Amino acid sequence: MAEAIEVLNISEGELGFSDEIMKLGAEELLDCIQCAKCAAACPMVLAGFEFFNKRIIQSILIGQKEILLDDSSIWACQACNRCTEVCPRKVEPFGVVMAMRRSAIREFALPTLAVEGLKSLYDVGHAVYFSNAGEIRKKIGLPEKPPTTASNAQALKELRILMNKSALSSLGIIPMDSGLSDVTCCEV
Amino acid sequence: MKVGFFIGCNTAFNRPDLEKAFRFVLNALNVEIDDLDGQSCCPTWGTMPSVDEAGWYALGARNFIISEEKNVDMVTVCGSCYGSLSETKYKLDKKPELKEKVNEMLKAIGKEYKGTTRIRLATNFLYNEIGIERIKNALKYNLEGVTIGVQPGCHSLWPSEAYLEGERDPFHPVMLRELCEALGASAPYYSRIIDCCGMGGMRSTNVEASYKLVKTKLDSMKDEIKADLLVTGCSSCLIQFDTAQAPMKKDKMIDYEIPSVHYVQLLALCLGADPQQVVGLSTTDLNGILGKLKKIN
Repeated sequence: MAEAIEVLNISEGELGFSDEIMKLGAEELLDCIQCAKCAAACPMVLAGFEFFNKRIIQSILIGQKEILLDDSSIWACQACNRCTEVCPRKVEPFGVVMAMRRSAIREFALPTLAVEGLKSLYDVGHAVYFSNAGEIRKKIGLPEKPPTTASNAQALKELRILMNKSALSSLGIIPMDSGLSDVTCCEV
Repeated sequence: MKVGFFIGCNTAFNRPDLEKAFRFVLNALNVEIDDLDGQSCCPTWGTMPSVDEAGWYALGARNFIISEEKNVDMVTVCGSCYGSLSETKYKLDKKPELKEKVNEMLKAIGKEYKGTTRIRLATNFLYNEIGIERIKNALKYNLEGVTIGVQPGCHSLWPSEAYLEGERDPFHPVMLRELCEALGASAPYYSRIIDCCGMGGMRSTNVEASYKLVKTKLDSMKDEIKADLLVTGCSSCLIQFDTAQAPMKKDKMIDYEIPSVHYVQLLALCLGADPQQVVGLSTTDLNGILGKLKKIN
């Protein structure tokens, strides 16, 4: 038996959703004509994801925010930018996907790994960090820690001040030092 | 000549043998390394770019400023770092209002982004700055008779507007092929040459879907050019191809393995580096390839 087709009532779409996505970085969103060049180039299509660049844009345009929040596809985008390269209307579909992620984060709809990555970035300055990496580094003749924020407290403080100045500080996704939000200039 | 080494996260903590290889290669080619002390994550896509555009660029700009103060270009072996930082520079240089906003944030740490330095990918740097002839002349070993399937990686190709020294045609990349051929190997075109490796967000979200892309790519490389070796231009692609093949074999998705290295590792081997140090963390079996290194008299 054929699967039932879900019919969307587009009048129930969330008003103002397109405006929100545009404000979050997808400035050229409304120039999309759904030509599908971005879909033809997208690795997510090849891998079988239901919501890829073109469908994400269309869902945004008809205000279907909930659908996108319920689906993990926006987090599978590889940031490969094939879509941005081929888009004849300069919509920058990858930028739309990232703006959608920014919207999802504001609804706390983000994967655990993204939370862990942000926490690790704040804690040591690296999104990918293995606490036992020091042993492996030493084994192949490198210092236990690289010359980065992982071994430079002053540099790490600078990074945290910037993260506290960003939208992340008001979202409450990761624990942050609220005292660093008030730094104005040169107090590092 | 002096360059700033932008190490990033995966190279420093996941594959430090690649960091070791890059240091060896630049030393062997008489390029001085500045470590850009205090650098951080680029930041990668799943973190600040997914939260806040200005926050993304502010963290990237802070990395650029370290280079600006030392008056050196940044060079990285990681496609993700190259992509995130290239987009940061592209957008900040193109949009003065955004640059102003980011510089307002940077005031809090007493810094200002000027845009006087650039981020470069190691393979592009080797191709454009060192050049094929200088590489050939420095070799101690070559790889005659070896067939390589190259994986340039998405972030060295698109968006081409953001990459100042990328491919002439990003849908038909040739630079990594020519760099491999400089080592005496052959590196033919195959139909899936520009396909994505499926690492990063896709692998974190759905590993089976990600492996579908790996299989498509490996099958194409094996069937069309009978590749002995897979060579990437990106540390993320390296980690994917080096770690995905064992579980895929176990699940009978593939019944073969193609040993996988980053180009900088392969060049280090051909320049005489100790394999334990520059490919010592490989999961795929490189013994066959190491046995094919031929000493140049």
